Amino acid sequence: MTMEFLNLKVPMALGGAHGKAPAGSTEGAGNRGRRIEQIALAVALIAIVAALPSLNIGYRFLSIAITTGYTAIALYGLGLQFGQAGIMSVGHAAMLGVGAYTAAMLSNHLGVGFWAALPASIVFAAIAGGLVGLPSLRVSGQHYIIITFCCCALLVICLTNGGKLTGAATGLDVGSIPRVFGINFDKLFNYYYLVLAALVITLGLVYAIVNSSYGRTLRSIRENEQLARAIGINVDLHKIGVFMASGAFAGLAGILQVYYLRHISPTLYGAFPSLYLALMVMLGGGRLIYGPLIGAIIVNFLPEVMDLNPVDSRIAYGVALLVVILLLPGGVSSGLLAIYRWICGRLFGRVSKAGS
Amino acid sequence: MEILIQQLVNSLSVASVTILIGMGITLIFGLAGIVNFAHGEFLMIGGIATWFFVGMGLNFFVALLLAMVVVGALGFVAERCLFRFTLDRPMNGFIMSIGLSVILQHVVVRVFDEFQKSTPDPLGAVWVVGDVHIIAMRAVVVVITAIVVAITYFGITRSRYGLALRASVADQATAELMGIPVRRYVTGVFVYGSILAGLGGALMIGLFPITPFVGSVVITRGFVVSLMGGLGNVNGAVLAGLVLGLVDGLSAGYGYPEWTDAYSLVLMIVILVVRPQGLLGGTLGPKAS
Repeated sequence: MTMEFLNLKVPMALGGAHGKAPAGSTEGAGNRGRRIEQIALAVALIAIVAALPSLNIGYRFLSIAITTGYTAIALYGLGLQFGQAGIMSVGHAAMLGVGAYTAAMLSNHLGVGFWAALPASIVFAAIAGGLVGLPSLRVSGQHYIIITFCCCALLVICLTNGGKLTGAATGLDVGSIPRVFGINFDKLFNYYYLVLAALVITLGLVYAIVNSSYGRTLRSIRENEQLARAIGINVDLHKIGVFMASGAFAGLAGILQVYYLRHISPTLYGAFPSLYLALMVMLGGGRLIYGPLIGAIIVNFLPEVMDLNPVDSRIAYGVALLVVILLLPGGVSSGLLAIYRWICGRLFGRVSKAGS
Repeated sequence: MEILIQQLVNSLSVASVTILIGMGITLIFGLAGIVNFAHGEFLMIGGIATWFFVGMGLNFFVALLLAMVVVGALGFVAERCLFRFTLDRPMNGFIMSIGLSVILQHVVVRVFDEFQKSTPDPLGAVWVVGDVHIIAMRAVVVVITAIVVAITYFGITRSRYGLALRASVADQATAELMGIPVRRYVTGVFVYGSILAGLGGALMIGLFPITPFVGSVVITRGFVVSLMGGLGNVNGAVLAGLVLGLVDGLSAGYGYPEWTDAYSLVLMIVILVVRPQGLLGGTLGPKAS
């Protein structure tokens, strides 16, 4: 029993292009079955989260769910960058900050509302993502991670010193989202559905990217950059591309965050939020499609479920991260997948073996 | 003119702490191949431990030594229990150290509180040279740092331990065949770097109050110093620490103080992009994975 479990786990821990871990392996025998599985899982998940508010779960739960939702959107960007292209960032909150501040500044200085600011936020965050990504063409590995951390610190300094333009240390306020088809987004339920819609779109896009030839290109860069370059892949272009995509998702998350909180200040986008984003991706696992979502759910709901105060819950995240990295480098999602495959293996025999 | 000299002395003492941090990181990153994001928290714990021991009625300098022991022990435990298992996957070690820094920070907040702590000025003396007033503690900090830098420099470049260490970095397999216990050296460097962080923290709280969240500021400066100087390069760390300290000190007096932190960050990003091996060259750190 144990042996079988280990056998299943090992290729996933390695996670390379050869295992069945990457959601993007469209080749292979059990492919059709797996696709049906995936679609069923996605439909079930969406049905569950869409039905949540009607279960009378209370405002507190709902607001945590909204936070989880937009955090997960940002995490999908980071997951794309880390899980697919293999470039980690510990300054990702800066991208959220660019998106959020774009929206807040447009609203405060030019009177531009949510819907018009939405594309602007996404575009500016994507540009910021590309700019922060530029040094990665020359600097790699841990050096680059440190650069991302510094970029984040720089942004916070700029925002704090921005005077009237950025509202300095106190930050900026925004109004409410204008009604569309009579839907009032001031109501928490409606905002929840807005975030949910954005999350579903994000999931769809990420799934499409991961399973496209572009996703395979990114993974080839992750696995062996020299080889990828040698077979004619424009590594530099693709790297910047994935940074921009990652930034775009963060921009979407940022504008959702600012219109949810109604007030933003530079500290929301500093070192700690960035570290927590990195932590969540690692916790959930960046390579599997539900990894970032699981990471966001764990980190946001854990204190609520276990009734921890903020200090204790942060200690708990830290410990959880250490345990996950030492024992389960693919993140919680890969562990869940291993358990799921193991159960399937016990139930149906050969099914799960087909892929390996 | 007096003000300029005073500013210089002040920035020199701040630069000293920065040099200690940068030197710890440069050794651990460049020679042991571990990026320890929790290094700033190690320093914070050094400071808090000093504060705690001073609060128990100990002399400041006894507390300083105890704080170094505490942080050294912490480094030993961290290396043996955590980083040892990620030596072949440095990226995982890096992420793990982020987790460690979050844990340490909040454990300190839990055990004590999140407010800033300070010790009374351990010497309480001001030396007057001409028209220049120098707070004695600041001068002592500079002297202690200079001694530690000298010990480290000669330890790395001249002693056989330093030689063995550099051999392990250059070619681990050959070094092992030559009978060098490479893993023990890795632990040793890690513990030594942690002790430096403990010393830095103790000296820092002797100069100004610190909070449990000082680590993230410190770590940024530490990375700036170690990467600017070149990893594993003690001279480089000292030079970069001095440059940074002077830029900070002088910009606080003459430039735009609110942008002080930005200068060093921009400087480092530019240096990393233009000269990834740092100003004076270094080991380039562990291979990126």
